[in-house]
Amino acid sequence: MDFPQFDILAVSSALLLVTTFGVVVRQGFLDWLSAYRYQAIALSAVTAIIAYVTGIWEIYIAAALTLAIKAIIIPKVLTFVTQKIKLEVKIEENPYVSLRLSVLISAVLVALSYFLVLEIPIKSDPVVAAYLPLSISLFLIGLFIMVIRRMALNQVVGLLIIENGLFLFATALTHGTSLIIEIGIFVDILVGVIISAILLVRISHTFDTLDIGKLESLKDS
Amino acid sequence: MIESLASISAGTEANSGSILLVSLLLTPIVSGFLVTILRRKRAIELVTVFSACLVLVQASALIVEIINEKSVSAFDGKPLYADAFSAVILLPIAGVGFVSSIYSVSYMSRQYDDGIVDDKHIVRYYQGFNAFLFTMLLVPVANNTGVMWVAIEATTLVSVLLIMLYVKENAIEAAWKYLMVATVGLAFALFGTVLFYYAAINSGAGGLSSSEQGMNWTDMLAGAKLLDPNLVKLAFIFLLVGYGTKAGLAPMHTWLPDAHSEAPTPVSALLSGVLLNCSIYAIIRFHIISTNAIGSAFSNQLLIILGVVSVGIAAASIYFQKDMKRMLAYSSVEHMGIISLAIGFGGFYGIYGAILHIINHAIAKPLMFFASGNISQRYSTKAMSEIRGIIRTMPVTGALFLIGGLAIVGMPPFNIFTSEFLVLSSGFASNQFLASGLVILFLVVIFASFMRHLVRMVFGNPKVEMKQDDMGKLAIIPMLILAAMTIILGFFIPQGLQTLAEDAMEMLK
Repeated sequence: MDFPQFDILAVSSALLLVTTFGVVVRQGFLDWLSAYRYQAIALSAVTAIIAYVTGIWEIYIAAALTLAIKAIIIPKVLTFVTQKIKLEVKIEENPYVSLRLSVLISAVLVALSYFLVLEIPIKSDPVVAAYLPLSISLFLIGLFIMVIRRMALNQVVGLLIIENGLFLFATALTHGTSLIIEIGIFVDILVGVIISAILLVRISHTFDTLDIGKLESLKDS
Repeated sequence: MIESLASISAGTEANSGSILLVSLLLTPIVSGFLVTILRRKRAIELVTVFSACLVLVQASALIVEIINEKSVSAFDGKPLYADAFSAVILLPIAGVGFVSSIYSVSYMSRQYDDGIVDDKHIVRYYQGFNAFLFTMLLVPVANNTGVMWVAIEATTLVSVLLIMLYVKENAIEAAWKYLMVATVGLAFALFGTVLFYYAAINSGAGGLSSSEQGMNWTDMLAGAKLLDPNLVKLAFIFLLVGYGTKAGLAPMHTWLPDAHSEAPTPVSALLSGVLLNCSIYAIIRFHIISTNAIGSAFSNQLLIILGVVSVGIAAASIYFQKDMKRMLAYSSVEHMGIISLAIGFGGFYGIYGAILHIINHAIAKPLMFFASGNISQRYSTKAMSEIRGIIRTMPVTGALFLIGGLAIVGMPPFNIFTSEFLVLSSGFASNQFLASGLVILFLVVIFASFMRHLVRMVFGNPKVEMKQDDMGKLAIIPMLILAAMTIILGFFIPQGLQTLAEDAMEMLK
């Protein structure tokens, strides 16, 4: 049964990467959120696969929580906020790095993370080999998105992708830290998203834009 | 579980510590609930001050217990655990929490009278205040490094909510930057924590197979010798960047001046005096494990570099500063840098200096923030060029502001002089001449520019004619307490602190 298992790992990794690139290539606010939702569903599937391979039941709970919180609640909250914001333009018009170039750079980041994993002194097994580089790619792409995009909403999505990468990293490498801590992290994320949702509404009210480049009143001198 | 409950109810001498640990955490939670139920301004002020006072009493009892017993823990598997380093952080949390709660009453009442905040804001403020206190108290007593991370992330969220209390443009911008930068920083810290955990469960140390234990700091320390050195190095770098961001160490400090200057003043005092220390505490925890695993050279060097950079950047920023609260915020970057340096220099005087400096800074900085809060409310501005002659318009506040300022720049006979002296002498003792020399140079720059700003604000003639008014007793009492402490600790250091430093030194061997 070893061979088909490995196949599932490869296919699911590819799926997760494709959904991540969905956020990189898209411009519209709602498009990001739907791409993020697909990513969360893929992540939940990947988590369930890890649970199946390792046979640890607690990871199934983590997979279910991922599905409930990241694939359903968080996109709902952010979609609601996006619809509530009264802005005429709800797309990223000119990011700091063009979309084409950012896809290219993201691809380089993925390749880079496969090399990076070779440098980390770890015991390799099929799960680690398949998902660890992937988790680092998510982390790096999330950071990259936060840096190159102007819109506040996209920074939140970037942050959530970073967090997904971290979650996958922890689950693949250590087969999940204890459940209580994972629930704590989930709660932190959920509260964080709600707070940033409130802030998004306030930013759009006060500044009439979600462009972070326009938030520059606080400076020295 | 039943066993541990039974052992608590037995109430023997050894268990009073564990009861204290639990009740210490429960106090702000209960108080938060009471605030939510009561909702009347007068009542929730009383509840919050009372609970902060209760926290201070319990924390003091706990610290005495730690001084006697070296460490205190509760329940099986030690989910709650406190030792010398926890005590050093608990003291400022409880102390500043208490004075800050008193100051809140006066500060928020004035904002209320001015119509800047309404009843709903007041309830939200005190809920946030209690929640903030709870999350900060959880950091030093959580043994599990994962729980510690969750608690530190929670402090970010709660303090963002407190900054968002005002719907001003600046406050929104500050809250957004703070939320984004601190959360990304903490993502790095979680990465490092997971790597440490991985190193711990794969080290082959017996009995670490269960996940709860592998993440416990005490168990990580016990098996530190077996950790993979390369993993430890990698993990420590991530942790230092992550928690360093939250601690305001340069060059990851960019969020700090914004957040600290835009928060309500009592919250600024907590952010500066206490919250930064909580992240420094997290760094210290992993520094101890790293020191035990691979020797002190690696982490010491990193801490020294970050420390020197922080002091240097703070010096440049204070020199050019125009905003009073931002100047104080940069001064926090400076002092966090000094603490990081002190830990990096190591040796008994380095650690002793770090411990004293954490406490001294937590006394002097809130004093400065409280005074600046009164001043900015009185003058309706934070621009230092507009503030003149404080000593004439508000004699008591002006005098206390001056005392705090002299203490903060490290003038004798105030408390910070002692700890800075210890830190620098430990630097020379450990042959770090370049770092110590640079820091002395930066400290001179900070001294000169800080004093220039301070003297101009305190003396001279007010630009507009104003009556003498010190904004009421409740605004003055917290400052008097803190000012008295800066002077007392300048002359006399309690024996208990030295015992704590000795215990702390034990862990770093």
